[in-house]
Amino acid sequence: MNLRKVYRVPEKDPGFAGTLRSLWSRRFRDVVAVDGIDLRVKPGERIGLLGPNGAGKTTTLKMLTGLLHPTSGSCTVAGRRPQDRHPDFLRAITLVMGQKQQLLWDLPATDTFLLNRALYDLEPAAYARTVDELVTLLDLSSFLQRPVRNLSLGQRMRCELAAALLHRPTVLFLDEPTIGLDVEVQASVRAFVRDWNVRHGATVVLTSHDMNDVAALADRIVLVDLGVVRFDGSIADLNERFGAGRKLTVQGAGTEAVGALGFSAAPGGGFVQIVPRAEVNGLLVRVLEACPHADVSVADPPLEEVLTRAFGQTRQLREQAGHAP
Amino acid sequence: MTHFFRALPDLVRVGLAGVAAYRAEMAIWILSATMPLVMLALWDAVAAEGPIAGLDALDLGRYFVAALVVRQLSSAWLLWELNQEIRSGRLSTRLLKPMHPLLQHGVDMLVAVPLRLLVLSPVLVGLALLRPDLVWLPTLPHAIAFAFALAAAWAVNFLIQALFAILSFWIDKSDALFGVWFGLYSLLSGYVAPMDVFPEGVARVLRLLPFRAMLGGPVEILAGLSTPAEIATDLAVAWGWTFALLALVLVGWRIGVRRYGAFGA
Repeated sequence: MNLRKVYRVPEKDPGFAGTLRSLWSRRFRDVVAVDGIDLRVKPGERIGLLGPNGAGKTTTLKMLTGLLHPTSGSCTVAGRRPQDRHPDFLRAITLVMGQKQQLLWDLPATDTFLLNRALYDLEPAAYARTVDELVTLLDLSSFLQRPVRNLSLGQRMRCELAAALLHRPTVLFLDEPTIGLDVEVQASVRAFVRDWNVRHGATVVLTSHDMNDVAALADRIVLVDLGVVRFDGSIADLNERFGAGRKLTVQGAGTEAVGALGFSAAPGGGFVQIVPRAEVNGLLVRVLEACPHADVSVADPPLEEVLTRAFGQTRQLREQAGHAP
Repeated sequence: MTHFFRALPDLVRVGLAGVAAYRAEMAIWILSATMPLVMLALWDAVAAEGPIAGLDALDLGRYFVAALVVRQLSSAWLLWELNQEIRSGRLSTRLLKPMHPLLQHGVDMLVAVPLRLLVLSPVLVGLALLRPDLVWLPTLPHAIAFAFALAAAWAVNFLIQALFAILSFWIDKSDALFGVWFGLYSLLSGYVAPMDVFPEGVARVLRLLPFRAMLGGPVEILAGLSTPAEIATDLAVAWGWTFALLALVLVGWRIGVRRYGAFGA
């Protein structure tokens, strides 16, 4: 709680003279990456840590997994202090990084599985059962014996997920798990993580810039910026707080009349208007009076739009606080 | 530790698969480390004029053949691996596993020893054909003492590299610092000249330093140049350094890992 991480970053003037000067007088600057985060996650929950680049979400994830020692504050994950890296803690968690791999590059993924069996001290029968389950769920059988370097990115990520879950962790930390993957593989990764969460009750903590990941995987969203939590709640709450309102779409023949009610033509056909939540019912009545046969739909604006607004607001705070945008 | 021994067969299996995957690269690397053969030729020429510091041409020849064997079998490359892992953030993967990263690396490096023996064998067979007097079988007591000395040589080498690698938690290029260490090692371990050629006072000090434990000590035991008293001293010093370095590495690791930045991860 009140988790804080400050990096001490060396600074140097450009050029050769700057290099020489830095030899005898090194300058450092403190960069506050996480500035007092408080977070409570229930077992089995799926939460998405979101924020612009440099917001502090990955640093938070690294502290929660014990890779980084907090500058101050404390946290408990699976009943342990992460930075102690107690074997029980390490057996209870896993971290999947979309941009980093744990698979042995020149060997088939099965060798990494074997290595993890040894490192996690897995009982052979339980290991065999988990491998079978993961191979089936992730459809790995056709490329499991190929050296990892010869796999496509999507195949590699599926093997990464399997390697990360062999020890059946109860807390999954996923850092940009679908980055660089094609749409089909992204969808299969999301479906798998969701399924795993439901089957095994594992807690999922996700960071991603892909709003589809967030929408598909996170029941709860935590917006982080400038190292602090700006919002913590459900997607509906997020819409309520940062969404401009609900999106009304009117389609069908003879609906041009809604132009008089403030609707504008949508690029894909029909008419749209973003309406404050409180005014939705009133406007709906007037639309149906004007065009009784209209096809009307009401939806929340896309999550991307809501988050853009949310990030915009936090950016204003950032600028007011004197941080570089 | 019982977990480690249970894990060992799988760690060895995967380690060997890794060694096999890089066999050509490793064979070239092993063959390129033939400095003792160069020294053999050099000292052979020098000794032709008469014994040096009580060592005749045969003693010197066997010394450098033994140096070749010890150098190969006590080799580790932890510094470069770990330095790279710390700087690139790849250490994160190891830190997330419930086994100390140095144990994982230790096994990876030990399983390469059989390959090193394999690559070394033709070199020794060639030597046996060209200079049969330079290839010999040690006595059983010497062989046993050599096994202990070689194990300590490997451990000291591994742990010294671990210490330099741990410096990567504070400074960017700890491998450059290791270059300074390697210079001292070459001079003071018996790598370029046996310890007996140093003045007696200097040699007495050198016998207590870790450099000798890494090469000169086991080499002299294998070549049959050490007295039983010298063997006992060498083994005591070598294992003393092993435990002292192990303690230093464990403390250094504990402090250093707090500074790990997990960059790029």
